[in-house]
Amino acid sequence: MELIKEAFVTNKVDVKELVIEEINRNHKLLHRHKIDKPCINIGRDYHNDIILADPHVCPSHISIDYIDKQWQITDNHTINGTFIENSKEKKQDANQHIVRDGDVINLGKSQLRLLFSDHAVAPTVAFSPFESFINLMRHPVALFISIAFFTIIAGSIIYFNKPIEVNFSQLLVPAIGITLGFALWPAGVALVSHFTKNDARLMAQLAVSFVLFNLMWFSSILENIVTFNSSGNNILPIFMTFTSVMLAFGLFWLNSYIGFHMSSKRRIVISACLTILLFGGSYLIQYSKKPDFNPRPNYNATIMMPSFLLTTSSNVDEFIEDSSKLFDKTSKKAQEE
Amino acid sequence: MKALFTLVFIVLSSSSFATEQAEQLFNQLKPSLYQIKLIDKASGEKSSIGSGFQISEDGIIATNYHVISSYALHSKKYRIEYLNSEGDTGLLTLQSVDVINDLALVKRKIDTTSSDEISFFQLSKTAPHKGEQLFSLGNPHDLGMIVVPGTYNGLKKESFNERIHFTGSINSGMSGGPVVNKQAEVVGINVATSGNSIGFLVPHDKLQNLYQDFLLTPPESIELQMTAQLTANQNKLMTEILNSPWQAKTLGKHGVIPIIDVPFIRCWGDSNADKADALILTAVANCSLDENTYLSSRFFTGAMEIEFRYMQAKDIGANKFYHLYQQQIAHAGAGNRAGKDNVTQYQCHHDLVMPDNQMINNKSILCTRAYKKFPDLFDVLYLSASIDKNKQALVSHFTVAGIDQKNALAFTRKFMEAVSWN
Repeated sequence: MELIKEAFVTNKVDVKELVIEEINRNHKLLHRHKIDKPCINIGRDYHNDIILADPHVCPSHISIDYIDKQWQITDNHTINGTFIENSKEKKQDANQHIVRDGDVINLGKSQLRLLFSDHAVAPTVAFSPFESFINLMRHPVALFISIAFFTIIAGSIIYFNKPIEVNFSQLLVPAIGITLGFALWPAGVALVSHFTKNDARLMAQLAVSFVLFNLMWFSSILENIVTFNSSGNNILPIFMTFTSVMLAFGLFWLNSYIGFHMSSKRRIVISACLTILLFGGSYLIQYSKKPDFNPRPNYNATIMMPSFLLTTSSNVDEFIEDSSKLFDKTSKKAQEE
Repeated sequence: MKALFTLVFIVLSSSSFATEQAEQLFNQLKPSLYQIKLIDKASGEKSSIGSGFQISEDGIIATNYHVISSYALHSKKYRIEYLNSEGDTGLLTLQSVDVINDLALVKRKIDTTSSDEISFFQLSKTAPHKGEQLFSLGNPHDLGMIVVPGTYNGLKKESFNERIHFTGSINSGMSGGPVVNKQAEVVGINVATSGNSIGFLVPHDKLQNLYQDFLLTPPESIELQMTAQLTANQNKLMTEILNSPWQAKTLGKHGVIPIIDVPFIRCWGDSNADKADALILTAVANCSLDENTYLSSRFFTGAMEIEFRYMQAKDIGANKFYHLYQQQIAHAGAGNRAGKDNVTQYQCHHDLVMPDNQMINNKSILCTRAYKKFPDLFDVLYLSASIDKNKQALVSHFTVAGIDQKNALAFTRKFMEAVSWN
């Protein structure tokens, strides 16, 4: 297999064109040069074809020459040397090395990737349906509406829970504060993608995040309604918790879709990890705060105004019947302990 | 002028007579009085003290249950010792308890070879009359045996289990000491004080009953005996409550609540009608059974509290009203003190409930926790919040400690059906 590949490479290198990519340690592209010369000089001084600013690189570090339809690297007795990045051997001297398509060489602390112009590229990625959704949401009007909606909900929640009379500005300031606080997340993601040489796309991040935040408000209201309308025997509220987990996963997935180029598998893994971190972390915090013994009962006190009442009530007999099971349950616990 | 002199003279003489009599009584009874000490085995030091008095020839000493409660629940950790008037100490064994009336019988070894006549207290055959002078004996704060004169003021009205109201200062450490009449007969046992010379005594007939029962059938195990007593007492209490008239009363503008018409449940009320800036008008009625059976310093039972709360929104919408209303009902707690060693954690059930009369629609919550040492007894907490009016709410809530399943459910059912709108 190795031989065939070698032959294939040697035969094809008659185009005399070499693509040299300056890459960072994570193999992210910094610059790309396409050179059409039989002798390419690389180093720190200004007569080179590719000038590297790395202080560990010598003024005339290497030359790559086209000899016998092959590119060959020559190291000019440099101080720090030139090496081929190779997974098997850590440091393989690059002097007199015959270049193969995709080789990565290390000079000083810089990395160069050498590619032939017929190097196969990855298949074109089609726009996902999310793209049009994101474009719609990042429209300034849509963005404004979703942020305003978020602020209004935050303000009304503060209003509903204040036991004293409050005026408009007393609500507006904390509501805007909450909105800014939540905006930190998309801003942070955009910043990270900017620093990792990806497109920041701040507006898109903001738009998508606030749409998802609004959906989370909505799902929590829905969860309240479901909890209010169901008895202790009902398992429907557990499904509602599942909805909020899915929404969080969706948020992380979209954040990484907008902010970073990565394979879809990796994106799912990263979003899942963040979701687990969020929910698992908050569960762990709750769990660690939980006292060994709680002398107070832990019950569901969700009540809502009569217009949210959707089910018919049980009668006293049914309630007494269901409650009687509690006595057996606690008796059993008492015997176990 | 002459009349005045006589009066002063009479008062003076009667008071000096009382002192003389107290002294005489004290000297006569001293040999049968004991300080009861609970010694922690590991540290060898006393962990609680009280008083006791001998009531039989064979060395049975009466005291309070709460003096020896730690031993009754953890007999391996402690031992019981006495200290008599001559400074002698010795071991005591626990024979029987009456946890409801806070009494216990302990026994000291009697030296049968000794020819000394053993003195002991006689229990009175009759109850004292109101105003009768009595003498309380005991060892307050480990200061030595003392005698305190006081008066009998009848039985405490509001208590479910009888207690004598004694005017005279009883202090801690005197618990378990006898209260005698002028004939040196025991009429009560020191048990509690509420300060300012108001003391409470267990009537002597409770001790009489305990002693007679003990002579007939000594208990197999103290824990089983306590369970039986707690179960019987809650049965007696609940039978009386369930068979008493429950009077419907209006709370706030439209709430209808039951008031249980028994002397031992007392009610109090409050409202925020004077607060002009309050968003919600609130009226609260509280009823409680003033009974707290002592099981250990961290475990009480027998208490019962009932609370009703009527709320009406003033200038706020239904949505805000319900948010604030939810905050009001979110933090109900137990009515009695109990710890991890005594009870399980609460388990709760909640549902929307409408009684058959269709007068009210509630969200109701019932929580129970079981007693670990006393099988089939539970603490129960019930909370119900009306959800059928936009700007009015009626919260009904009770806690009962130390009740069995049948009584708890019967009481809950009757309670649920008694709360409604008018």
